[in-house]
Amino acid sequence: MEILVFTKRVPVTQEEELRILDDGRAVDLSKLPYRTNDWDNYAVEEAVRIVEKGGGGVASVSMGNAEADEVLRRAIAMGARDGLLLEAGEVPQDPFARATLAYNFLKKQGTPFDAIFTGVQAEDDQFACFGGILAAMLKIPYAAQVIAVDDVQKEYLVVRRELEGGLQERIRIALPCVLSIQSGINEPRYVSIMGVRKASKVERKVFKANDFAEGVKNLIEVTTWVYPPKKEGAAMITGEPVEVCTKLVAILKEKGVYQ
Amino acid sequence: MEAQRVLTCMQCGKCTGSCPEAGKTPFNIRMIIRKKQFDRTVEEALPWYCTSCNTCTLRCPRDVKPSEVIIDLRAQLVEDGRIPATVQKALENAFVQKNPWGKARSKRADWTQKVDFDIPHVSETKEKRLLFSCCIQAYDPRCMVIPANVSRLLRAAGVEFGILGEEEACCGNEIRRMGEAGLFEELRDENLTNFKEYGVKEIIALSPHCMNTFRKEYGESGIRVFHYTEVLQDLLESGALKVTGGYGKKVVYHDPCFLGKQNNLFDDPRDLLRAALGEKPLEFSRLRENSLCCEGGGGRMFYDVEALYQRNSETRVKEALEMGAEVIATSCPFCVMNLEDPATEKGLAVKELSEILLEVI
Repeated sequence: MEILVFTKRVPVTQEEELRILDDGRAVDLSKLPYRTNDWDNYAVEEAVRIVEKGGGGVASVSMGNAEADEVLRRAIAMGARDGLLLEAGEVPQDPFARATLAYNFLKKQGTPFDAIFTGVQAEDDQFACFGGILAAMLKIPYAAQVIAVDDVQKEYLVVRRELEGGLQERIRIALPCVLSIQSGINEPRYVSIMGVRKASKVERKVFKANDFAEGVKNLIEVTTWVYPPKKEGAAMITGEPVEVCTKLVAILKEKGVYQ
Repeated sequence: MEAQRVLTCMQCGKCTGSCPEAGKTPFNIRMIIRKKQFDRTVEEALPWYCTSCNTCTLRCPRDVKPSEVIIDLRAQLVEDGRIPATVQKALENAFVQKNPWGKARSKRADWTQKVDFDIPHVSETKEKRLLFSCCIQAYDPRCMVIPANVSRLLRAAGVEFGILGEEEACCGNEIRRMGEAGLFEELRDENLTNFKEYGVKEIIALSPHCMNTFRKEYGESGIRVFHYTEVLQDLLESGALKVTGGYGKKVVYHDPCFLGKQNNLFDDPRDLLRAALGEKPLEFSRLRENSLCCEGGGGRMFYDVEALYQRNSETRVKEALEMGAEVIATSCPFCVMNLEDPATEKGLAVKELSEILLEVI
């Protein structure tokens, strides 16, 4: 089975206090470290496990600047056979534009695949629709939020999707297809620095995104970056401990939290 | 190398006899060496019990270096990608944010906000003396006071020093011991590049773990490396640091493994404590080279083994209470963190040495 996994290099923002620059026109990412989008690690791991069991190969595809090569090396260290970089100084954030670029690339290159995996979403833009748009363009079936791949057959996959309320939906999906892979589907293996160094010896194929730019246009436009509105501050209760506790219990009762 | 070393083992058992994990946990270092001699598989969970206290290596009469054998075993698991999730997270964090806790690198110098004077970048200092904060002391709210305290003490003694701020990367001591040699090399090279670029001549390490790796695993950099207790002891002796004494509490001193048995720094912290207390500190029955490991080294800060047995920190706290101590003093952030939990439960205080000193200058 040939599986393409779209992987994205994203800034690590969780521990940062992000700053908006130029009156809302940009966010300061200059000092942030980058890494592979977390969901994509699960997608690569799942793809590698499938081919380790049933044969075939995994190709990791990334759209970004030259530094996105980092995520390809990492995917190869995890067990991917190939790394493909669609290089552009700046790749649009718009999911329709990104999907169009990927679609053009797959069609023009004739890259063979049985399945395409993406992460459920990217940590940076969180659109969570690249895979769905790409599937629609390719006119192949799509399943989102895949939390398990139960069976791999020549003509179809049996996968489970994560639904609200703790339910899962088991579906059969014809191949070729696109799946967006949910975190928790597996435990991605650790990739050591030595492993990444070895992977660096595997040649990655670099393509110019400009060669596949036909019809790539943004349907949405970021007009401005804003901070969320500040909410009211917390009420501070002062006084002796007994007094504080009495007041606290009274407030909790009033709010209906404590009966 | 490893294969040759293990073949010299004569199974005398000094390693197991001195191991802080032997007997109470499934970890049996002599058995592991035996298995390596016969090329048998070692159960994957076992190497993670080791605290890298190094007692086995120090006592081995045949130079087998059992603690290095453990690092080799971990290295294989790291290369295979089969490591505990919490260890994996710590390593990935150290790669991305240059600290195993995954805190923002941009906040590495936030502890400087705790002092009311400016601390320059080391490049701006005349002496090129670097105060290396260490990850846990840069970010953990309990430990952030330590770099702040030592800065105050150095300033009080008129010592010029600077920091690297957000350019400082994890020293890699724990990373190497978790078996990630490649990542250790990257961190070491990054730090060495900065040391060289800014002309660092001397490093004052706040954690014995950082000091250990700078001294032994960073190669010949020509940079003098000290633990802060060595520097303060010199300042005390020369009279530059005035300690009034009269701390007024009964204090017992706990030797950190990476400071004491691994680097023979037993007396400087005790001398400083004696000056602070006006009398000799109390001593544990297991002290100096025989000190009981707190179980925080070798990646154990990031890996919790099954807690079905008594923690060494609990043993320490029990003994401290029995001898009538009111405070356990130590000079390592990992020891502070590990001792404090059971100590707080029993109403016993744990103080890093700098906290005590700051109260008596």
